[in-house]
Amino acid sequence: MTGHELIAALVVTQLAAPAATVAVIGVPALLGRPLPERFTSLVVGVGFAASFLAAAATLGILAGRGFRPEVVHVATWFNVGHHDHTIHLVADALSIPYVCFSSGLCWLVNAFAGKYLHREPGFARFFVLLALFGTGMNLMVLADSIDVLFAGWEFLGISSALLIGFFHERANAVRAAVRAFTTYRVCDAGILAASVVIHRAVGSGDFERLFELSWPGGECLVAPAVATLISLLLVFASLGKTAQLPFSGWLPQAMEGPTPSSAIFYGALSIHAGAYVLLRCGPLLDEAPVAGWALVVIGAATAVHASLVGRVQTDLKSVLAYASMTQAAVILVEIGLGWRVIPLVHVVGHAILRSLQILRSPSALHDRHELEAAIGGHPDSGGCWPVDLLPAGWQRAIYRVALDRGYEDMLVGRFVVGPSVRLIEAAAAAERRWLAWLGGDPRGGGS
Amino acid sequence: MTAALGPAVDWLAVTGAVAVAAPLLGALVASSRPIRATPRTVGVAAAATALAAGLALAVAWQTGDGQPLGFGHACGGGRLVFIDGLGAALVPYTALMATATLLVAPRRLLDGAAVRRALVGLAATLAVFVTSHPLALVALWFFTARPTWRSTRLTPGGRPAARVFAIYMTAAVACMAAGTLLLVADPPWERGSGPAGAVGGWLVALAVMIRKGIVPFHSWYPAIFSGAPMSTALMATMPQIAAYTAVRLLVGHADEVPHALLMLAAFALVTAVYGAALAVVQRDLRGFIGAFSLSQSALVLAGLAGTLPMELTGAFCVWISSGLSITGIGLVCWALESRAGDISLERLQGRFWDSPTLAAFFLLFGMASIGLPGTLSFVADDLIVAGSLEAGVAAGLMVIASTVLCGIAVMRCWFQVFGGPRPADSPGHAMLLRERLPLTVLVAAVFGLGIFPGPLVQSFERAAERILRTSAAHAPSPATLPSPEP
Repeated sequence: MTGHELIAALVVTQLAAPAATVAVIGVPALLGRPLPERFTSLVVGVGFAASFLAAAATLGILAGRGFRPEVVHVATWFNVGHHDHTIHLVADALSIPYVCFSSGLCWLVNAFAGKYLHREPGFARFFVLLALFGTGMNLMVLADSIDVLFAGWEFLGISSALLIGFFHERANAVRAAVRAFTTYRVCDAGILAASVVIHRAVGSGDFERLFELSWPGGECLVAPAVATLISLLLVFASLGKTAQLPFSGWLPQAMEGPTPSSAIFYGALSIHAGAYVLLRCGPLLDEAPVAGWALVVIGAATAVHASLVGRVQTDLKSVLAYASMTQAAVILVEIGLGWRVIPLVHVVGHAILRSLQILRSPSALHDRHELEAAIGGHPDSGGCWPVDLLPAGWQRAIYRVALDRGYEDMLVGRFVVGPSVRLIEAAAAAERRWLAWLGGDPRGGGS
Repeated sequence: MTAALGPAVDWLAVTGAVAVAAPLLGALVASSRPIRATPRTVGVAAAATALAAGLALAVAWQTGDGQPLGFGHACGGGRLVFIDGLGAALVPYTALMATATLLVAPRRLLDGAAVRRALVGLAATLAVFVTSHPLALVALWFFTARPTWRSTRLTPGGRPAARVFAIYMTAAVACMAAGTLLLVADPPWERGSGPAGAVGGWLVALAVMIRKGIVPFHSWYPAIFSGAPMSTALMATMPQIAAYTAVRLLVGHADEVPHALLMLAAFALVTAVYGAALAVVQRDLRGFIGAFSLSQSALVLAGLAGTLPMELTGAFCVWISSGLSITGIGLVCWALESRAGDISLERLQGRFWDSPTLAAFFLLFGMASIGLPGTLSFVADDLIVAGSLEAGVAAGLMVIASTVLCGIAVMRCWFQVFGGPRPADSPGHAMLLRERLPLTVLVAAVFGLGIFPGPLVQSFERAAERILRTSAAHAPSPATLPSPEP
């Protein structure tokens, strides 16, 4: 077996292992015979462990070869004329460390969730969705084309929404899930349009035709105007998943889901999916200063917004959600400034810290009491905040704005969602009246 | 179009004939008194025989020499019996839908007369897919519409919907008949043709718009889903005989009727977006399915105006993928209604507790219809988006808008139906085998064709190339073209 074949086998394992667990757990559940709890978490754990170990082995091989990128041709899914859909994956200095990190984190959270969700109705459903998420994450990270990346991106969005609505008997969880999915879907238009622009520009979705695969460097291979258009569309797509203004309102509500999924999605992996896509397409951003500045402006505005709003929250998960949003915004600013390695380190560090905080959040009071008992009093929460330097009137005004979450939900609802929904409902009502008249239905007809 | 009858082509004729004859025979048996078997048994046996013959037809096509079968009376560029890659896929697809709906149908709706109407409608629909004869298509439009109207009219509370359906179908059949006669009398693809043929092309396009439920002639679509039994609504809409007619009478002669096709595509794109938007705000599950299927099926017509095999192939894939997925959603809806009555979307219904497996099926079909990777709709969306972008940026943006809105509508609907606390009237009935079996087969088809789309896509591509070649072959020679104006 040559080095390339070995890497190809390992890369396919990173993808196939979690994907196989979706089928192993999902099919019996669909047939009305879910596997026992212990076996369920064991199977998913084995899948993530295999993925992690394969990624670690690949990392070792790549390190020995100076991190020279290896493109793996998995299969040609289908082709029509000149349009083909080929599954290409890439093993390089960005993708393989990221798979190590994401699979390892999923493995740990899987172990935690096996205990945390014991005897919970929907136990199998949670693990199917976790495995689907892990598959989507690895697919997105390893993708060497916009088409494959979009497939992984879709899995992330769907599993995320379904896990937010995991406790579907609660109205709040359902509302939060629909809101998150709606935001994702609107922003997905950006990645779909980017896919189309890329196909038109270079005749294929492969990244190699867009830029050189030598992360963190790499030359852009398309004209600046095309690079700018693609970059702006990718920035738009990233705003939804990373919960940036004006698409940030869904994130605090997303904490309605089970704690383990909140940790892995909104503390660690899903929240950084947009940042990963932008890092992967870094050479395009280098050729598109407009997109870079857009990232800096949106990221900075979101960081200030989330930092202020997070400080007045009264529940721990909301505080953590806004803290995640702040750090994700800072990471986008770093990417917009043209940095590549620092944002990656920031992503990994933030993800590990935040997922730990979210996993510990149900025990926060217990932890606090232990801390107080250990130090024999209350820990000092003092310190100087920049807001303290402002006049009292300004402080009160900022407090009110922060308490209303920057009026973001109100503005989006009043000027975007509300008018759109009213317009569609007016059309639906006109349809009903027309049907009633045409059908001679005295009750009003139609639905 | 060849009439060569080699050994493989013989199989095309035999299997096609069996597929059409089996439901007719079943209808005869269902009409006879007394019969020992239950109406469901007769209906399922006939539809399953048609399905088996349809699958054999598809296999015969795949293993054949790729030459379409055409024989019988020739008229207007069509033959009385004509089977190509498109027909070879649509016959088993329609028979599968019919078998599934007959299996899932509640017992109270399946008397002998209902089964007879369903089987006659199935036979007429299958007959559409094995002909390209314009006059035969006109007649079959009538014979497919009549059982739908009758079944809707006999449904309690279904008279308004039947009336709406009758108004639209009368207009559609009239336009189709007039347009076809003009096309046949003055074929625009022959030298020296006058304006009558062009008028005929426009009338056929108008008929297709009405029969297909394209804005502004779409109102019968939600009406039929609200007022008719689910099987009737699905069999009236999902086979898409209007799209098939457009392929045979318009796409096959695209060079002669380009404006009519472009008009169809433009209105179809508007319908795709409008239907998706309506699906987001529907107040009940049937209304959602009506609006959603309106949007999804319109994408088929949007792709048919293309001039590249890729665009036609994408349209054919959407045809199959949206049909299978929406049939699955419709059958889950029917199974839920048989347990809990009408399903509102105005507040959370909590139907997850009735049957978590039904919730899983609904979700799978819903995701499969909005382009979940690994399903046929992902393949179809990929081809349609790429193809529409070839046509223009505006078309591509409309397809993307439709995809986005459909996704939101499906997820909202799933949570409204299955989310919420356990309702007081929750019967908690497990799924029956006759419900589980067809839904499992449909899921397997949607995912199987999505993971291994190669044979289907290649078959459609060959059919698309042949249809477009036919169009080019019928194009007027340069000598007959009018000289450009100074």
